[in-house]
This record gives sequence, structure tokens and C-alpha cells, in this order.
Amino acid sequence: MNFRRFLIKRIAISIILTVVAVSIIFLTMRLLPGDPFGSLVASGDLTTEQLEAVRAQYGLDQPLWAQYVQYLSNILTFNFGYSITQGRPVWDILLPQLVATLVLLVPALIATAIVSTILGMYAGWNRDSLFEKSSIVVTTFFRSTPIFITGIFFLIIFAYQLSWFPAFGIRSPTANPEGFTELYLSWDFAKHYFLPFATAVLFYSGDFLLLSRNSIVERKGAAYLKLHAAKGLNEVEQLARAGRNSMLPVVTYFALRMGMLFQGVITLEVVFAWPGIGRGLVTAIQQQDYPTVQAAVFIMALAVIIMNLLADVVYARIDPTVSVGDNV
Amino acid sequence: MSITDREVAVEKLSEFRNRLWYTLGVVLDDPWARLGLFILSAFFFLGIFGPYLAPHDPIQYTVTDETGSMLRTDAPSTTAPMGTTAFGKDVLSQFLAGARPTFIVGVFGGLGTGVIGFLVGLTSGYFGGRVDEVLMRFTDLTFALPLLPMALLILTFVTPSIYLIAIVITAFLWKMPARVIRSEVLSVKERTFVRSARAVGAGHGRTMFLHVAPNVLAVGFLYTAYAVAWSIAVQASLAFLGFGDPTMTSWGRMLRQVFESGSIRVAYWWVLPPAIGIAAVTTSVFLVGRSLEEVINPELREEKSE
Repeated sequence: MNFRRFLIKRIAISIILTVVAVSIIFLTMRLLPGDPFGSLVASGDLTTEQLEAVRAQYGLDQPLWAQYVQYLSNILTFNFGYSITQGRPVWDILLPQLVATLVLLVPALIATAIVSTILGMYAGWNRDSLFEKSSIVVTTFFRSTPIFITGIFFLIIFAYQLSWFPAFGIRSPTANPEGFTELYLSWDFAKHYFLPFATAVLFYSGDFLLLSRNSIVERKGAAYLKLHAAKGLNEVEQLARAGRNSMLPVVTYFALRMGMLFQGVITLEVVFAWPGIGRGLVTAIQQQDYPTVQAAVFIMALAVIIMNLLADVVYARIDPTVSVGDNV
Repeated sequence: MSITDREVAVEKLSEFRNRLWYTLGVVLDDPWARLGLFILSAFFFLGIFGPYLAPHDPIQYTVTDETGSMLRTDAPSTTAPMGTTAFGKDVLSQFLAGARPTFIVGVFGGLGTGVIGFLVGLTSGYFGGRVDEVLMRFTDLTFALPLLPMALLILTFVTPSIYLIAIVITAFLWKMPARVIRSEVLSVKERTFVRSARAVGAGHGRTMFLHVAPNVLAVGFLYTAYAVAWSIAVQASLAFLGFGDPTMTSWGRMLRQVFESGSIRVAYWWVLPPAIGIAAVTTSVFLVGRSLEEVINPELREEKSE
């Protein structure tokens, strides 16, 4: 199978996956009991007639299949509708949150991918050294401990005991920034940024470190390296050549991690009160704001699907030994 | 099963037992893995006996001083060796009792994930072709559904119980072992002994379970262990976000309460026990798992023996 056919097949699968995932989200939200407006009637804020009118406005009086078709065409065109509790378009709520999450996590992931991969290569090259052993134990701790617990540790040590960093939020309560540049380009922001950033960097460091360390360990002793050694290359030059060949798993892993970012970040954002999409989702669920919940989960699912697709394509593109056909 | 099947099974099992002893030897050689095993045994013990060891009921009992007034957010003292919560509850009792839900979700979620993942991976890798295609697309789908958001969604509508949480976790985690087992099976099934078993007329079920499965069982165990740690982490996260079993004190729920009440600023005695408990257990699983991996992963092992 050539690359183009592989690409088309993979894209088609991703589209189908998106539709199925979206359908499952719809079913979960509609088939499970509970109605966002029921509680308003119970509390006396709405009469039954008003309830019917509101339900009609949100299309909740339509038969299920009609709602489904409507929902499908809306969500796939990124038309997320209006928030029930805030009366604003869902996009207006989610966009700043999405930006806040990406601003926190993309730099964290890139930083940890570069630093941890280099450290991992060094560890693998110096097998059984003190550095290798201690780096593995330390990163094992950070990658296996749930991210919010590391966050809580940092919070009580660096924010509450030492008072080096603010404990929550993205800006001080007194700051009243207008627009993204004012929000993000300030010393105040940097101080709020540090702890959640460091937590995320350490949480994701273990996987990259182990991946590149194992990769180097597997390649050390490979014939081509013996050749390089015979040619008179020094250790660092040999390591660089072994490293180049172990980049592939790291690159694909990076893409996969990128896709799964949003789900790992929910608890982290809650701990540091970071106004991101993960914390937004929790709030929306608590307020039973269906349209916002739906859209947030959809964005999270879409990120995974797109990044999986990217990882597969990159893998097939840059690894010459992988046949892009069926692997059976 | 015919007699010969049983003989083959017995032989495979004793082979597996020998390997298990060897593996255990390697693991015990590694001081960090030893520490991990020790912590896990302690956790196992607490998970079963913790609630009986607790001096007081974790939720009903209120700690009071001599005059009878409630001790709120009180530092460790003789009355409450690990201090009290903002609601005047005994932290030591909550910690001991809280081990159990953490333990139950870990064990059931981990076992469920391990068993289902193993079976799916085995079937998928062994049969290949269309079966594989269908099962792998299905795993892709569960990969596309983000675990924590979906779990939050489901648990909003139904009252969470620890068993339900274990089921939800299993439903989203089985894909992890499934993929790994599948790729292991793909390499095992091409080996001569599998081909010869088929050639002498062994059926698919027999070949699959007697000849292929024992060779990937070790990886299955490894991922079951990892799944236990993942389940504990997910359960703690859910409880921390307020989606835990409301009838039980778990370590994750303790963290939620200390965080929500704002006592996290001062009450280190209330934060540290559950936080360290969870961190120690999940880290231990991976410390042991890592040293197991050195035995199982042939590339890493060969290098070691050089």
C-alpha cells in the first residue's frame, strides 16, 4: 500500500471515529437521567409553561433522533450554541479557557520532551551509573503519582510554607487585564505560571526519560555504533548518532501525549485554580450546563483523534522500516 | 479438555512457575523494587484490615477535648495522634479506613482492565485479519473518548459507588494492555512451536490459550499491576473532584475535603497522610513494574547479561 492510500484510509477512519465518539457523548448526555431545567421548576424559578418554552428553545422537545441530527450537524461545524447557565455563546466561554490550557501545557510538554529526552539518552548511555539510577527513581515518582497530588505537595511547600509563589489563579485578584496580551505578558502571570508549569513538566518527564533511555540501551552495542567507535568517533558523537535513531518513538509519543493533554490536566487546573478548559468542564458539569459540557468533551476527544492521526502519519512517513500496510 | 491438553497445561504452568521464581529473584535484587514490594504489602494489609484498626469511626465520631468541645483542625496530640479535620474528625481513623475504598477500586479496576485487555489483545493478535481490524478500531474508539471527562459525565447522572467507579475505569483502561498484548502475540505466533502446534492439528482455542497465552502472560501481569496503579490514580482524581463514593472515606475524598475547607494552608497533618499514601502506592507499583520490565523486555535484558 502506498503512502497516499494509507493516508486516505487513516483520515477516513479518524472521521468515522469522530462521528462515533460524538454520538457516544450525545447518548451519554441524553439517555442518562437528569434535566438541567427540572431543578429550576422544583425551586419555583420557572413555571411548567415557561419550562416548556425554554425546552423548545433548546430543541429539547423534539424527538430524540431529530435532536441527534441537529446536534451532529451543529457540533461538527463547531456551532456549540449557547450556555444554559451563563447565557453566552459556548465559544465565548471555552475559547479563553482553551487558550489558558494551551499556554500552560504546550510549553510544558515541549520543555519536558527536550530536557527529559536528553537526560534519558545520557542515562541510557551511562548505564548503572548513579545518575541513571537516581533519575529513574525520581521520574518514576513524578510520573506515577497523580498530577494533582504533586501539585498539592508543591502548593503546600512553595506557596503556603515558603510563600515563594501565589497559590491560585492565573493573575492576582487585583489585576484586571484586557485581552490576551495584557493577560499573559506580565511578571504577575509568570509567578502564577511557575508552579503548575513545573508540576506538568515533572509529571510528563518520566515517560520521555524512560523512552529515550530504553531506546539508547537497546541501541548501544548495535553494529553501526561499533563501526562508529572503530572509526574513532568519541562517546558524545556516538551518543548523538544513537540518539538520532531513537528519536522516532519520542516523536510519536510526543504527538500522542499532546492529544491526551486535556484529560490529564483537569485535576491540575483545579488544584491551582487555573482557568483552563479542564476546570471549566468540571464547573459546567456541576452547573449542569449541557451545551458547554458537550463542547468541552468534544474538543478533548477531537484533540486525541487528530493527534493519534498525526502520530500514525509521522511514524509511517519517517520510519523507513515500517510498512504502511496491514501489520499482520 | 483431553488428557494431553491437561498435560500441556501443567507443563506450561510449571515452566511459568520457574520463570516466576527467577523473576522474583531479579526483582528482590533491586533495592527500590524491594521497597516498592514492602509498601505494597503494607497497603494490602491496610486495605483489608484498615477499617478495623481505626480507633474511631471515621465519619460518626467527633474528637473533643476535656471540656467536651469539638477539636477543629487541631494539630497532632495524644487525643488525636494525627490531628483532626476541620469537622473535628480523627485523621488517623480516616486514613486507616480510607485505605479500603482506594484498595478495592485499585484491585477490581486493575484486575478487570488486565483480564479484559489480555483477552482482547490475545484474540486480536492471534486471529489477525478482520477480527483484528474490528477489535483495534474499537480500541481506537476508546482511545478517542477521554477517560476523565467521560467518567465525570457518567458519574454526574448516577450515584457513584466504588464498584461502579471500578467498572467505569475498566471500561476506559482495558485498551492499554490490549494493545501491548496484541503486539506481543503478533511476534509470538510466528514462532516455530506455535506453527507446529497448529500443524499437528491443535484447534484455535487450544493453540491460543496453551501455546500463545503462556508466553505473553508475564506482560499481562505487568500491565495488570500498572492498571492497579492507574485505577488508584483515577479513583483519587475522581474523588478529589467530588465524584467519589459519597458513603465512604477514601484518601482522595480526604484530599478533597482538606482542599475545599481551605485548611490546606495550615493543616499539614490532614493533607500529608492521604497524599503520601496515594503517591507511595502508585510509585511502588511502577518501581516493581520497572524492575519486572528489565526481565521481560528482551532487548533490555540481553544488554544486562553482557
